[in-house]
Amino acid sequence: MRASSASRELLWPLVFVIATGYLAWYTPRLIVFSGYASEAMVTRFPAAGALEFLALFAAIGALIMGIRTILPTPQEGTNTGVFDRMSLFMGRVTMLLIVALVLVMFYEVVARYVFEKPTLWANELSLWMAGAIFLFSGLYAMQQRSHIRIYLLYDLMPRNVQRVCDLFSTLLIVGFAWVMLWGSYNEARDKFMRWETFGTAFDPPIPATIKPLLIVFICLVALQAVVNLITDWSKDKEVHAVVDEGEIDEFVQEMGAKLTKKG
Amino acid sequence: MFDISTISLVLLLAMLFLLAIGMPLGFASAALAALVMFMKFGPDFLFGTFGTGPLGILSQRIYGLMTDYVLISIPLFIFMANLLERSGIAGQMYDSLNVWLSRTRGGIAIVTSIMAVIMAAMSGIIGGEVVLLGLIALPQMLKLGYNQNLAIGVICASGSLGTMIPPSIVLIMYGLITETSIKALFTASFVPGFMLASFFIIYIIIRTQLRPEDAPLPPDDPNDPKGREKTMLFLTFLATLGAGFGTALWLRVVFFTVTGQNRVLEGVDPIRLGTVDYVWKIGAFVLVCATLIALVFGKDRLKQSWAMGKGLVAPILVIGVVLGSIYGGITGITEAAGMGVIAVFVIAVLRREMTGHLLWDSLKRTLKSTGTIIWVTIGATALAGAYTIAGGPTYIANMITGLDVPAMGIILVMMLIFLILGALMDWVGIVLLVMPVFLPIVLKLPVEDLGLFGELNPRHVAIWFGVVFCMNMQVSFLSPPFGPAAFYLKSVAPPHISLTDIFKGFLPFIGIQLLALSVLLIWPPIISLFL
Repeated sequence: MRASSASRELLWPLVFVIATGYLAWYTPRLIVFSGYASEAMVTRFPAAGALEFLALFAAIGALIMGIRTILPTPQEGTNTGVFDRMSLFMGRVTMLLIVALVLVMFYEVVARYVFEKPTLWANELSLWMAGAIFLFSGLYAMQQRSHIRIYLLYDLMPRNVQRVCDLFSTLLIVGFAWVMLWGSYNEARDKFMRWETFGTAFDPPIPATIKPLLIVFICLVALQAVVNLITDWSKDKEVHAVVDEGEIDEFVQEMGAKLTKKG
Repeated sequence: MFDISTISLVLLLAMLFLLAIGMPLGFASAALAALVMFMKFGPDFLFGTFGTGPLGILSQRIYGLMTDYVLISIPLFIFMANLLERSGIAGQMYDSLNVWLSRTRGGIAIVTSIMAVIMAAMSGIIGGEVVLLGLIALPQMLKLGYNQNLAIGVICASGSLGTMIPPSIVLIMYGLITETSIKALFTASFVPGFMLASFFIIYIIIRTQLRPEDAPLPPDDPNDPKGREKTMLFLTFLATLGAGFGTALWLRVVFFTVTGQNRVLEGVDPIRLGTVDYVWKIGAFVLVCATLIALVFGKDRLKQSWAMGKGLVAPILVIGVVLGSIYGGITGITEAAGMGVIAVFVIAVLRREMTGHLLWDSLKRTLKSTGTIIWVTIGATALAGAYTIAGGPTYIANMITGLDVPAMGIILVMMLIFLILGALMDWVGIVLLVMPVFLPIVLKLPVEDLGLFGELNPRHVAIWFGVVFCMNMQVSFLSPPFGPAAFYLKSVAPPHISLTDIFKGFLPFIGIQLLALSVLLIWPPIISLFL
């Protein structure tokens, strides 16, 4: 059952990665198509064709299907709303990106040291993918409530006081997202609309994509914090362990089985 | 608007308050970054027009961090450690180490330490290591009637070595934040790391010699080879290893020679162990090993010793790939981590342990830990950026160095702060939030006043302080009330062992860690031995 559910889980994230990967490179064509592009952009890129729209629909479709079909593990919690599922789906996507990152790096090392033909693209591609991985992983960590907190005093408070604290924290997180939006919106928008690239031989559009994604994901993480606040509002008081006990239990069971089987 | 002393004070109090109410560390830092900007520039200037203004500096800082190539090594090292822990490599390694020391007093404890060192040299994080050692070694030690405190202490203290022996995620983070060479940090931490590990082992040996009842010997196994024969077997195994890895290195040199990659070029460092003359040197070494096996040790011993020791081959291979990539001049830290992932993956496939489920599971944990660490980094970077713009680090450095306190006094106070913070919070938070303030102070101290013996090379001060910090964090893994190692062990220990018992078992080992820390403080040039 485990293997089949894993492969089922893979389908939509994979489609999403491929479609957005294509879009990451050809978005300027969509910008040109939209008619908001500057003169310079119009001369640099053609307008979007069928393939770009196909990728766009595939990406949106995969996102919707992924959100609908995702199977959170018991470890990840089952009582989840649409937004939680979206965060979990982005987690699955990020996992695939990590695999891709390792493969790209491996390819580069082999190409450079075995065949003496270093690639021009591998280093910057890994940099680009890593930027996305860093941003996406924060959303997953927020949904899983695994961001580092100090529970020393928090666990001593009555539940109602805890709620007030959570409310205050969440307000501050939203406030920070607002500050980021306020200070960086124009820059991110301009870099995206100009499709600013890294200025190297391979020239990936890292500023054009990561800058806007940074703002978007800080806002999404803030939204997830609000969702968490609402979800956890009615929950009873729980004592927080220093380490993730559920996760370790799972690990112990698996490894324990493995060790006894062997010995 | 406000002067920097007010900003600093408000910042400190606000941080304490936000952490006390349980706000996630990264977001508390991020929100305080906004507060510092607010206090520095005032609302009119910051919120003059939507979409622009000085607040954009925060996203500049974060973007700079996101496009730092070294940061990529963090998810990769986490991924590698997750794969490693879930494969059976560790379990088999234990068996292969244990056969050689089974008749030694305190053997299992020593084996546990050695195994922890090997695992530490493979991966750079802790957690899984403690759990694994707890699963494998703790039942053995308790079954034999080892002193419970000794067993617990050895497992947790050695299991924490992961971040002290290269590769180390703590040192990577430190290097990233302070712009210190990570390779140099790794090299510098070799000696202190192994020193700490050998202190543990020496302690075990002395303690079990003085009190044999703490570590009873296992019942005699008649099939177990004895004394001299075992030594011979061990030598056979070493020769086999030497021949095997020697052949691999030899093939590498031959490959370089055939493809002409090892031509001696002006201004380019020659490839380590890779120049033409090594074809003969390594070839001779392999021949000697092979001859020894064929003529002295014999085929039977070869077979038997291989069966006993083969579990060590995979770990040595992984270490060779990771550290060899870094020090062989092949790749940087990031690619070395990537190669480590590939190496562990391939070994697990060869051992037929790799399943889709294992891979998926490891990825999931990697993702979670990455999100946790990176977003603390994001928040702290924003805060450090804002505080620097406000002139904070300079202000504090001037204030501290202006005091008429000896340099070592300042260092000792810092150590105390590290130890207290370490008992309460995660190392990531400390390195990200405290280091940008502390390191400038340390760099301003007169270098000849650091330590009691020996002169530290002025260029190595930042490296030394990184290693010192790393040693401090060793203590933090064990120190109550939140020493994570205790909680990791608790989850695998028999239910009758309480958290208090566990922390009690740590005491002598915390003492040893502090001893190692004082060696670093008293004699700083210890880090320069290989630099």
